[in-house]
Amino acid sequence: MIAFMRRSLTARTVLATLVLSGFALIALGGFLSYSLANSFYQSRLNQVLNETERAVGLVQGTVAAASLTDETALQTLINSVVPSLEISGGSGNRQVALLRSPGQPQLQLFQSPISRDLDLSSIPGELRQSVRQSPQILTYTSISLVRDGSQVPGITVGAPITFPLAGDFELYLVFDLTAEQQSLQLVQNALAVGGIVLLIIIALLSYFVTRQIVKPVEKAALAAEAISDGKLDERLPERGDDVIALLAKSFNKMASNLQGQIQQLDSLSRMQRRFVSDVSHELRTPMTTIKLAGEVIFGNREKLDPALSRSAELMQNQILRFERLLADLLEISRYDAGAVTPEFEYQDINAVVGAAIASIEPLANSMQTEIRVILPPKAVSAEFDAKRIERLLRNLLSNAVEHGEGRAIVVEVGQNSQAVAVCVSDSGVGMTRQQLERVFDRFWRADPARQRSVGGTGLGLAISKEDAILHRGWLQVWSKPKRGTSFRLTLPRRADSVIANSPLALPPRSVEI
Amino acid sequence: MSQKILVVDDDDALREMVGLVLSGAGYNPVFAADGISAVDVFTSQNPDLVLLDIMLPGQSGIEVCGQIRSKSGVPIIMLTARGDTEDVVLGLEAGADDYVVKPHNGAELLARVKARLRPLADDAAMVQIGSLVLDPQTFEVKRGEASLSLTPLEFKLLHTLAAKPQQVFSREMLLEQVWGYQYKADTRLVNVHVQRLRSKIEVDAENPRIVMTVRGHGYRAGTETS
Repeated sequence: MIAFMRRSLTARTVLATLVLSGFALIALGGFLSYSLANSFYQSRLNQVLNETERAVGLVQGTVAAASLTDETALQTLINSVVPSLEISGGSGNRQVALLRSPGQPQLQLFQSPISRDLDLSSIPGELRQSVRQSPQILTYTSISLVRDGSQVPGITVGAPITFPLAGDFELYLVFDLTAEQQSLQLVQNALAVGGIVLLIIIALLSYFVTRQIVKPVEKAALAAEAISDGKLDERLPERGDDVIALLAKSFNKMASNLQGQIQQLDSLSRMQRRFVSDVSHELRTPMTTIKLAGEVIFGNREKLDPALSRSAELMQNQILRFERLLADLLEISRYDAGAVTPEFEYQDINAVVGAAIASIEPLANSMQTEIRVILPPKAVSAEFDAKRIERLLRNLLSNAVEHGEGRAIVVEVGQNSQAVAVCVSDSGVGMTRQQLERVFDRFWRADPARQRSVGGTGLGLAISKEDAILHRGWLQVWSKPKRGTSFRLTLPRRADSVIANSPLALPPRSVEI
Repeated sequence: MSQKILVVDDDDALREMVGLVLSGAGYNPVFAADGISAVDVFTSQNPDLVLLDIMLPGQSGIEVCGQIRSKSGVPIIMLTARGDTEDVVLGLEAGADDYVVKPHNGAELLARVKARLRPLADDAAMVQIGSLVLDPQTFEVKRGEASLSLTPLEFKLLHTLAAKPQQVFSREMLLEQVWGYQYKADTRLVNVHVQRLRSKIEVDAENPRIVMTVRGHGYRAGTETS
């Protein structure tokens, strides 16, 4: 639920609107019903007081008009007056009590006339006290009555009356406010129903209004998502002249510009890659002729005079170098064009390491460099393209021989459950941190002034890196000046899996840091 | 008599240079500069081997290859400027026996030419494989009375397998024994030629009985005589 709220702007807006207007409605309803109750009460009170005044006048008039001789006559008179008060009122039910004020001599026969179903608790003692203390005015109090088992509000009004012979009495009239209560209830119910209906309407309204705003924004968000996923043709519908339409227009304009830029960049880089590929291909045919011709001349160099013979040698070496460069350029242009399809096969990497070392041995021997190999006793199998991995290892090895200063080169193979690794370490010149950062860059050389004995093309490590990436593997390097350099290749055992860690440490344990 | 080699390449300099290399090795080169004339020269000169560039004006080397193959089993070596899969596989499927990627060196080219022109060993005996009988003297393959037409390379491939029916040959072994490669080469050569061979000799090429695949290892001759 909370997650849904977090996600849906519409739900949040509707909920907030509902809560706020709910508060407003409750406050308004409360105020309305409070003032209604107040005015109902006031008007009833006025009516009640008027009636009581009339009743008091009636009783006093009746008593004054009669010539009372004894208690019995008084009793009879009173008994006749009080019930008449019960019905003479204009406003529904009322009950009457005529009570004798305390603190006077007892009348022997007198019985206070009280309406039949009047509960004397409706006449609180405090009221009686204040009635006796203020003889000139009517005194009243709010009470609660029990009618048919439920409580209803009521008013008790009291007035002192003095009878000749009999002394001080108090006349009480008890009115109930059931009718007012019912009217109030009705109004309150109407308010509540009206409030709920209003809330529903407000919720629907805010939902529709929010949808109006949110929907285009949602669409824009989806379109932006689609564009970032590469669907550059995605656009928003432009309708009307409002701010939403402006959003759509601006968005579409941005998308078009972006698309144009991307396509331009794309076609530029495609053209560039195409160019490299075409140049490399176009160079192949003349290269072949030159190579064949060079070979013929080189093969017959003993028939030439020394200067020509040496020239033939130089030319032959440079032709070979040119050829390697061309091959590497073609290879990297194939990577750039994404036109590389590796041939994965599940096989033993030890065999490939052995083949790479065997092919580099003549060079190592010529540099008097020893190659030490640490292989696990059993086969180390993984899924990889043997040609590419052998080329990669050959490249690492020839780099190690070239930069190893004649010191031994260590080749170590390791494995764990997910990955296999080959580490090629030399103890030669090493590289600085700045050099390390550029080591996989194309045509970059650690030391341009350095004499090249091996004659690499400058693309070797860049291609090796691409080969490692093609296998979803890692090609990492550790180096320290004058300590040496270690390259570690880590390959997943299965071509479609991902590696989390390498079975070999970098720098390897054999290297003293 | 020196063997005649047809060199088809649209680049004049390279054509001449390849010719020089071949003459130097004692062959007799003849030339064609485009795809159309290549077929005419082939018909008139009847060479012992064809060196065929793939990218040719007129019609492509692959089409030329198909046309030559339709009338002759003469060895065809493609010269390709790309090592790219598609061209190589298309060329092999069109019937080329082998391919050389430019820029190649003379020794490599001559080795390939020599391997393709080398005849079967003299002591090659008649062998039977399944319902087929192979005669290395006449290069004839017969199923009963019907004669099947194989190129020399296909014959050599089948004969190599049939001569040792119990042995499983890896692709590398076949490359060495049939094609004459001393080093690791493209195993697609084997795959494509086995497919071509099967389509000629098997009753049902989808369900081969004569040249069997041994998964993960290579091929062997079928033992059934059905």
